[in-house]
Amino acid sequence: MQRNPLVIVVIAVLVAGMLFFGLHMARTAKGPAPPDIKGRPAPEFSLAALDGKTIQLADFKGKAVLLNFWATYCQPCKIEMPWFVDLQNKYGPEGLQILGIAMDDASEADIAKFAKDLGVNYPILLGKEGTGEAYGGIPFLPTTFYIGRDGKVVDKVYGLKGKAEIEASIKKALNEGSAVQARK
Amino acid sequence: MSTIAKIPVALLLLVGAALAQGSPGTRAPSVSLAPPPKITITRGKNGTVPLQLRVATGYHINSNTPKSEFLIPTTLKLDALTDFMAKVEYPAGQDMSFAFAPQEKLNVYSGDFNLDVSVRPLRTVQAGNYAFHGKLRYQACDNAACYPPKELPVNFEVKVIKGPPASSRGNPKQSPHIHK
Repeated sequence: MQRNPLVIVVIAVLVAGMLFFGLHMARTAKGPAPPDIKGRPAPEFSLAALDGKTIQLADFKGKAVLLNFWATYCQPCKIEMPWFVDLQNKYGPEGLQILGIAMDDASEADIAKFAKDLGVNYPILLGKEGTGEAYGGIPFLPTTFYIGRDGKVVDKVYGLKGKAEIEASIKKALNEGSAVQARK
Repeated sequence: MSTIAKIPVALLLLVGAALAQGSPGTRAPSVSLAPPPKITITRGKNGTVPLQLRVATGYHINSNTPKSEFLIPTTLKLDALTDFMAKVEYPAGQDMSFAFAPQEKLNVYSGDFNLDVSVRPLRTVQAGNYAFHGKLRYQACDNAACYPPKELPVNFEVKVIKGPPASSRGNPKQSPHIHK
């Protein structure tokens, strides 16, 4: 019996498609992919800070905000936090506010000690599950969101990135919505 | 192989490659436990239950004795079982450095590692099968990110036997000639 090569190719395409779709569904069934909030208004939150104050995102209206979800058990987070200290010093006068949201079960005292040891110069907030969920879920740490002056999410970054990449995202956030601010 | 015949093969390879590329957030780190063997232990004596664990490729978990107070150690907590003593023996971790901190060494488990649980049924334990239940708590990271702590259920069974009949040491041989 002679086999038509075209039929074989069509069958292969179908099988490959079914395989890809089936396995993709099986993988995503473990947990829904986080919704992409880039370009959308950053979800509001109200969280206690280590100094006892309550901080809301709205407190930083008109500023670019770097929102860094971290934990004391996260070594990669520990690497980038001193960079954030430098970048807060460098870009704070231009309107950047870095906020750290601690997402672990460590005691407040341990979180404070960790932040103090690293010389953190920006507010550390005590995170809640709901805050992470509002931002599409925080499956791992660090996860960082860059919010423009207009309050919209400019970028979200999963995992540790280089300092230059972080700085580029900060510049983007500082520029985003600046025209809107200028008009106001 | 003709060009047309190569197309299906290439398609399947492409699909495989696409699926193998896990993007952040879609892969979950895992630690798995091979089915533990059922160990027979004589009551009043120690037996060792070897637990074979595997950390998924590309991830590491802290050892039981990480180098920082802030790191979460890997621990196995077993539910207490009356009249049994159980002690977990953790292996030494490997000192490894990672791309995120090349100068710093972390003490971790990666790939395959074994935990031994030393079990001692007291003499009061009835012979039979006993189930142990516990949870392995671990916290995994890869080269650029860390995942929240997780718990893996750990269950195993031991068979307790009475042991050989009492040795003759306690009952000195009696010569029929003693009692004259």
